[in-house]
Amino acid sequence: MSASAHSPGPATSTAPNGARRKLSTKQKLLLAAGVWLGGIVVLAAIYGVKGHRNNAFEPQNEFKLDNWVNLGIFSINKAVLYLVLAAVATCVSMIYIARRMQARPNKVQAAVEVLFSLMRDNITGSAMDEKMAAKWFPFIGALFLFIMFSNLIGYIPLPTNTEHEISVFGLSIPSFSLYAATANLAVPLVLALVVFFSYTFEGVRAKGPIGYLRGLIPGGVTGGMAVAIFFLEVLSNLMRILSLTIRLFANILAGHLIILFMAGALAVILGITALGWFTLPFGIALFAFEVGLVAALQAFIFATLTAIYLGGAVAEDH
Amino acid sequence: MPVIASNGSFLIKPGIGLMVWTLLVFGITMFLLSRLAFPRISEALGRRQKSIEDSIDTAERTREEADQILAEYRERLKEARAQADEIVQRARQAAESHEHEAKEQGQEMLAEAARKAERDIETATKRALDDIRKEVADLTIMATEKVTRKTLTDADQRRLVEEALSELDFSAISADATHN
Repeated sequence: MSASAHSPGPATSTAPNGARRKLSTKQKLLLAAGVWLGGIVVLAAIYGVKGHRNNAFEPQNEFKLDNWVNLGIFSINKAVLYLVLAAVATCVSMIYIARRMQARPNKVQAAVEVLFSLMRDNITGSAMDEKMAAKWFPFIGALFLFIMFSNLIGYIPLPTNTEHEISVFGLSIPSFSLYAATANLAVPLVLALVVFFSYTFEGVRAKGPIGYLRGLIPGGVTGGMAVAIFFLEVLSNLMRILSLTIRLFANILAGHLIILFMAGALAVILGITALGWFTLPFGIALFAFEVGLVAALQAFIFATLTAIYLGGAVAEDH
Repeated sequence: MPVIASNGSFLIKPGIGLMVWTLLVFGITMFLLSRLAFPRISEALGRRQKSIEDSIDTAERTREEADQILAEYRERLKEARAQADEIVQRARQAAESHEHEAKEQGQEMLAEAARKAERDIETATKRALDDIRKEVADLTIMATEKVTRKTLTDADQRRLVEEALSELDFSAISADATHN
């Protein structure tokens, strides 16, 4: 028997009866790789690999906020819409599930229960005592869910880019774009400030103003060293605002920017058409990475640090 | 549409208005979640946990009860076996005793029957001998009358019979009758 008899044949070949043969995963991957490489070659052949730099296109403008409803400094813009969308998604989904809690949970309820247990027992419960955890769990839980939903909504393309419009049946609508409220500095900053004031307030309430400030100095440190460490600790506390803010903001902004670049912005800037086709799979992979991991992970980190800061503020030894 | 060039500084310039919006929206979210979502989920989880704990407790109790019942049954079975063994033992003893008594009684009855038979035989033998003796006497008298052609007196008859009988030996007949 010849070797060709064993070969699976071309991926798109048809069986003798005319039905399409089902492709294996390996064949599908090879086919996709072939299409990808072929596309690069074809686009490079048609449009060339030498591009013309496009200085007019600035990707950061995707994050620029245009006022939609002018209310002075409280004007409504894209970020406000995303905040409201995140809040509505958070409240509606959680309240909907909470009102339909059953003794035998379905998959969605089971997932929410896991999330709830994570927030209540792992994030909040592990950082503070039971009484304090019961008091602060609504804050930490809401923070976690709000940030997570904000991040996730940011990966859904919505017609919110008013800078560029597309025409659908003669009607001009904003072009679809990815945007996240948390990719705007103001949002993580105000949440970090709320966290800072919350744990400072809790610390002062537990130990008194002097006791709280004295608690910043580690036990056993005296004299001039105590003064130096005190200022370092105050600075460290203030830096927490920045670290909380920038960690969330930069992660989400960078994620969106890199997806934007991989999904075509790089090709537009450099004017190389084939590059857009080349970077597309990386854009899809990064998109999956951001949605599957970064969105929830950043919310988890923010909430966990909040719980740790709150627990640390009332702890006996700082 | 002209593209507005920007140096990107707006990215790191937080707007006060957006901060206030964030505070407001987050506050409302937290309020709604803490009032309408978290307590219900927590309550449902608590109920589930209690139900699971109750189920475990019930299962443990049932198992303990089952173990206890099993132990009781084993104990009763052991007692029943001991009682059964005792009953069998008693029955065996009673049967042996009855058998022994029956044997003794049988032997006694047999011996009694043998004794009675012996007595009957003896009586019968004696009666038979008497009958024979009487028959022989009568025959003797008849024979004598025929020989002598005369009638004997009673006294003669008696004397002759006695003489004749004394000459006869009935001991053999008597012995045979006794043996039979």
